[in-house]
Amino acid sequence: MLTVRGLTKSYATADGSFQALKGIDFEIPAGGFYTLLGESGCGKSTTLRCVAGLEEPDGGSISIGGEVVTDTARGLHAPAFERDIGLVFQSYAIWPHMDVFANVAYPLKVARPRLGAPEIKARVLEALRLVGMEDFAGRQATKLSGGQQQRVAFARALVRRPKLLLLDEPLSNLDAKLREQMRFELQELIRRTGVTTLYVTHDQSEALAMSDTVAVMSAGRIVQSGAPREVYGQPDNRTVAHFLGSANFLRGRVIEAGDGLATVVLAEGAVEIRVPSRVALSAGAAVDVIFRPEDVTTHLDPAGGAIECSVERVVFQGGMSEYQLRLGSTLLRTVVHPSVSAQPGDRAWIAIRPERCILFAAG
Amino acid sequence: MAVQAEPATAVPVARRRRRGQLGWVGGIAVTFAALAALYLVMAPLLALLSTAFRGPSDLLPFEPGAHWTVDNLLEVYLGTNLLSTVLPSTAIFVLGSVVVTFFTAFTLAWLVERTDLPWRTTIFTVILFPLLVPGIVMAFAWTLLFAPNAGWVNVALRALLGLEGNGPIDIFSMAGLILCQGIASVPFVFLLLGAAMRTMNPSLEEASSASGARPITTFFRVTLPVLRPGVLAPLILAILVALEQFEMPLIIGFPARINVFSTRLYFDLNPEDELPAYGKAAAVALLFLVAAIALLLVYNHLIRRAERFVTVTGKGYRPTRYALGRWRVPALAFVGFYLLVAALLPAVVLVWTSFAGGSNDVGLDAYRTLLADNRFWPAVRNTFVVAGLSAGLITLIGALLAWQILRLRFPGRAALDVVSFLSIGIPAVITGFAVMILHLTIPIGIYGTVWILVLAYSYRLAVSTRLSRAALIQIHPELEEASIASGGRWLDTIGRVVLPLLAPSLMASFLLLFIVGFREFTIPMILQSQDNWVLSVIMWKLQSDRQTAQAAAVGTMILLFVAPVIFVLRRQLLSRQGDA
Ligand SMILES: Nc1ncnc2c1ncn2[C@@H]1O[C@H](COP(=O)(O)OP(=O)(O)OP(=O)(O)O)[C@@H](O)[C@H]1O
Ligand SMILES: [Mg+2]
Repeated sequence: MLTVRGLTKSYATADGSFQALKGIDFEIPAGGFYTLLGESGCGKSTTLRCVAGLEEPDGGSISIGGEVVTDTARGLHAPAFERDIGLVFQSYAIWPHMDVFANVAYPLKVARPRLGAPEIKARVLEALRLVGMEDFAGRQATKLSGGQQQRVAFARALVRRPKLLLLDEPLSNLDAKLREQMRFELQELIRRTGVTTLYVTHDQSEALAMSDTVAVMSAGRIVQSGAPREVYGQPDNRTVAHFLGSANFLRGRVIEAGDGLATVVLAEGAVEIRVPSRVALSAGAAVDVIFRPEDVTTHLDPAGGAIECSVERVVFQGGMSEYQLRLGSTLLRTVVHPSVSAQPGDRAWIAIRPERCILFAAG
Repeated sequence: MAVQAEPATAVPVARRRRRGQLGWVGGIAVTFAALAALYLVMAPLLALLSTAFRGPSDLLPFEPGAHWTVDNLLEVYLGTNLLSTVLPSTAIFVLGSVVVTFFTAFTLAWLVERTDLPWRTTIFTVILFPLLVPGIVMAFAWTLLFAPNAGWVNVALRALLGLEGNGPIDIFSMAGLILCQGIASVPFVFLLLGAAMRTMNPSLEEASSASGARPITTFFRVTLPVLRPGVLAPLILAILVALEQFEMPLIIGFPARINVFSTRLYFDLNPEDELPAYGKAAAVALLFLVAAIALLLVYNHLIRRAERFVTVTGKGYRPTRYALGRWRVPALAFVGFYLLVAALLPAVVLVWTSFAGGSNDVGLDAYRTLLADNRFWPAVRNTFVVAGLSAGLITLIGALLAWQILRLRFPGRAALDVVSFLSIGIPAVITGFAVMILHLTIPIGIYGTVWILVLAYSYRLAVSTRLSRAALIQIHPELEEASIASGGRWLDTIGRVVLPLLAPSLMASFLLLFIVGFREFTIPMILQSQDNWVLSVIMWKLQSDRQTAQAAAVGTMILLFVAPVIFVLRRQLLSRQGDA
């Protein structure tokens, strides 16, 4: 449905130029939900704006539904208003001088060839019904809550029945509770309309919860993409591991390797664990063992675990507590049921689930 | 839309080559605005510049026989009293009147915006009143009040003090000129200072009081320093405004044989029994143009800084008002005296003179003569046509210009930005002269008509670009991009999103420019012909022909027209202020 090839883009800055995109390639099948995830400034919005036609890339090609809209090699660039898209901005960009109906009707009113008024009305009401805002058609846009503006922005993006829906951090302006609720609503909405979606966010839990495919971006490149479980469970490198959920790093040395398994002795704590290994490693190689907080159990007596740590800090978070444990020079994060109560300075013992660990050659 | 059979090797369906978001309609509109700005502002200036360096002086710059020369400059700067007399009296006039203006306007703005002065809304309205009245009307009214022989105030004072002869007040002096000009500029500066005081973040002052400072300490150590950028910019602007003033110097300065820059230029262009000396006049203009543009650069620097120093929080905070206490009576007396001199007495004297000034009987004679005068109605029509058309034209051009400067990236954008605010620094008398030369040199058939006035008035582009720019900065670009991504073309985006959102500032810009155009005297004086007289010029003609009652009748009718407009203006200003 959407094909992006070799996208590059530089911005002129005060001191020369800054390359925001360094070659982006990806594809979304019809009906797919594809998420670009990455930290601030990595080029997510730039990519999305190039797809929308609001920015003109320096290099690369883009086609939407089999229609080439950008191909720098052939000098093709269709402006945004000729692309079959719906776009939702982070700021919603609801026009304050129009009411809800007029906001949603806009894409139909400017469409060529012109549509008749009854058809416009029917389709606007349908779109408003889709987002549960049919009772607000006459409401002035400035008199809407954040969540309602959000829904109007979706209705406006979908009213043209575009081939491609582009969403740039649509949930990030909402408070935590509403964000959670809107996430499900949005997912349901997209499922019902079946529209192909390109989603941009820096919130990993959104990305993991909603997407078919997650692409992690860093410094103008896609560093890894795949199904959420795959990318979360088997990050290709440290950047991805770090960005998706919090990760613990422990130094170690390979004692023995083979059959996709390696035995590693940890530098701190002097214990051995057998962990899966995707790369060929030879005995004696220095490695980093990476595991997530939820893959560790924490105990306050030595019977539960083999690695002894000291409790550095306890962060109560309601449904769970986060423990920061010191193991030699390393700080580890673990999650613990809030009923377990330890004080800073107490001793704790941890057990790591070896099958969930990931090995990287030490860098 | 037909879906392609092989999506992997997509077929190019993008029908045409690459095009920007503008499309051809947008391209034409934006180019038109840029060219119009160049034509309205730069073309006259270039004509003026070349005139200064072409001679002989009585020829137009590109008439046969004219050649490049520096004779004009040498002759004007070395051979006339320009540097020895005109320059010093201009400096004294400008600085003196700015001091009077600033002292008065600052005190008034302070009292109205930051104290519990009673009847503030009424006072606000009456202070603004002279803003709408052409300066020439004010000048005329003041001569009726303060002329040494028959001025009302002098007659009254003589009776009161038992004096003989003329006086005691002589308006026809440098002091009289400075005071009149100083008072005439008060409303404008009052508005600017009031805005700066109103938008000041009150927590800055509250923090000072909370630190144990007494109110007077807070005023000098916090309020004044915080206000400084908001005060300095209006100060420079007031200097620029004083520099271009022509009405007071003509009506009050000329009888006193005081020649300032604007009158000197005017008399160089309209010498008695001689041909106009274009080259010499241009050489005179050059000096003041350079000075004005230097001031403009300072001004621009200051307001950029003031923008960074924004004291507005947008949270609807209202600065606390000081209790005047026992200063209430002196404060009211000050305001009352000012209003008496600046608004009430001039209005009364004009109305009275229009009924009784011609002869000894009170009556409508002056109005009858005036309405029967076949120059009067065309002048009314011209005044409104020129003010309305030029205000509409530059509101539109200015908005387009501001939009493209903020939203597009193109070579020459910085230069266009300079052109868009340059007009603040160009004295009207220079514009009038420059437009005259341009149209004498390249005749397009409008010289001597109202259309040349429309073009000349329209050089005040900066008013509109500034207002639109300020409003556009508040409009998030995503509001426009949302329209484009919804399939809106340039015209849809501009017409349905940008212009409606800009509407309040477009209205303000139109209103302001209309008032400026309505008051205009300098430009129509310089470019006058029998076919394009406007009300202010007619009034001057009647006044200088000693048709005092008829001149006063014109003044009275202007007041009648202006009175309702002040309420529209006040609503606009107060709604911005969010204060009833
Ligand atoms: N108009 C521009 N001019 C110059 N640099 C720009 C411009 N737009 C973006 N950039 C730069 O390009 C880089 C990528 O920007 P982009 O907006 O794509 O980031 P992002 O991943 O969306 O970040 P965020 O999560 O903060 O929105 C940033 O470093 C940004 O500073
Ligand atoms: Mg972004």
